[in-house]
Amino acid sequence: MITEKPPYLGFGLGLRPQHYDEILDGNPAIDWFEVISENYMIEGGQPLYMLDRIRERYPIVMHGVSLSIASTAPFDMDYLRALKGLAGRLQPKWISDHLCWTGVHGVNLHDLLPIPYTQEALDHVVDRVNYVQDFLGRRFTIENVSTYVTFAQSEMTEWEFVNELARRTGCWLLFDVNNVYVSAFNHGFSAIDFLQGMPRDQVVQFHVAGHSHEETHIIDTHDHPVCDEVWDFYREAVRYFGPVSTMIERDDNIPPLAELVEELDHARSIAGEVLGGASRLVAAE
Amino acid sequence: MKSLKEIQDEFQRGILAGDDAILANVNDSSKEERKVLFGVYRNAYVARLAEILGEDYEQVHGYLGDRAFANLVKAYIAGNPSDQRSARWFGRHMPAFIAKSRTFADHPEVAELAALEKALADAFDGPDAEPLHLSDLAEVPPDAWPDLVFTTHPTAIRLTFATNAAELWTALKNEADPVKPMKLPDPQALLVWREGFMARFKPLSTEEAMMWDEAAKGVRFSVLCEMVATFAGEDEAELRAATYLKGWIDMSMLAGWSLDPREPRPSVSR
Repeated sequence: MITEKPPYLGFGLGLRPQHYDEILDGNPAIDWFEVISENYMIEGGQPLYMLDRIRERYPIVMHGVSLSIASTAPFDMDYLRALKGLAGRLQPKWISDHLCWTGVHGVNLHDLLPIPYTQEALDHVVDRVNYVQDFLGRRFTIENVSTYVTFAQSEMTEWEFVNELARRTGCWLLFDVNNVYVSAFNHGFSAIDFLQGMPRDQVVQFHVAGHSHEETHIIDTHDHPVCDEVWDFYREAVRYFGPVSTMIERDDNIPPLAELVEELDHARSIAGEVLGGASRLVAAE
Repeated sequence: MKSLKEIQDEFQRGILAGDDAILANVNDSSKEERKVLFGVYRNAYVARLAEILGEDYEQVHGYLGDRAFANLVKAYIAGNPSDQRSARWFGRHMPAFIAKSRTFADHPEVAELAALEKALADAFDGPDAEPLHLSDLAEVPPDAWPDLVFTTHPTAIRLTFATNAAELWTALKNEADPVKPMKLPDPQALLVWREGFMARFKPLSTEEAMMWDEAAKGVRFSVLCEMVATFAGEDEAELRAATYLKGWIDMSMLAGWSLDPREPRPSVSR
């Protein structure tokens, strides 16, 4: 089991097919890329070819959306084998997925669905994270999701749940700054309480993203630039956690690469203001 | 208290079947009612899959127009819950779904248009294989040619259409003047495959399609030539067969050769 804490990588972007050529033809100021694992669980062709070329130049982390770690359905072992196979090919710095479920009874709803924060759910997810970590031979990384409902059955806060999960499994955490902001707005809790409830040493990555405001609730759409409020919360997160590998996540209305690099530079400048020179320490590959 | 399993069952039924039982387990927020909040998941499910189908079946969308395509997509989503880890394969049943749909009973070109789009998508990220080059065949001793068998490119997909769906696809893709759909006097054979990074298709003559199908089964070259001779006359049959073969190689439709093991030729070794 690989238990060593992953290195600090600096400032990265989600790899999107629209940007393959710009990345390979130029030398954009991007320290690393995150890839959606499922998009590369394919047999061949251009996507895997481009990914291999980009992998030759940049550190890669893998980010999945279909592990369904909190589902009460059995694991899809073909999926886990494909995940392990892709990890063997890419040698990612870490592998993440979400604290959520995506379906039961063989159905995939292709969404990151919420769970009740109960002791039963915690025990269940702890077992499943341990299983995945044993299967992959490395610590896994779990991300908090944006949620739109809370459950009457919940017995603890989300951050208490995440903290306990991290303590019991040793998993790493992907702290999604935008998701905490969204869920805090939707459910009326304090984003700072969530932040301060996280185990500092286990957070290895930040996601920063845009969202859609619907007056009474916010939907996590990843189709807008990052808003000022989320940048403010990012500043708090950097202050609390120190240098953490940061990534801008954009999945829809994908702009030219240069626009995302500008957003990334904004993250760099915030981290620079908060931390001084420490944010520029990028571990060698 | 409801178990996690019971909650997930109800939650999923709430999304897939519109069942409101789940609402008894979720809270209103201080700003919004639970039904609206749960509705975010309901709406997202349909919207996400509809968007994916729109990307997968862009030309079917263009052909049918927004309204008819939206109805098709809605019916498909309702009848085909995804069982795939990636939404990439969610729409894979669309050609068969359209073919069985009464709405399109008089429009067989729609299912064929969908079949062509699906085949192109499958070829796009199908397995890699180094294409066979003409120079590779220089290794084949002249007296071994009759026993040559070919490996087709692993992305190759053969389709046979009753309509001019391939012509429709081309017109839609090029945003050219609309083409009138029609049933063809004879079925049209098509081959879909990937050349480099590009998924392509090519109409095949009946004779070429016959030879391709037999070659893909591992029939050796001498027998392919005999079949071509039987099909359209012995006159220049070998030349016709060799011309098809060269075309396949030039367009990266083949991935290798070997010698038919059923006809051992001890004098030849690879």
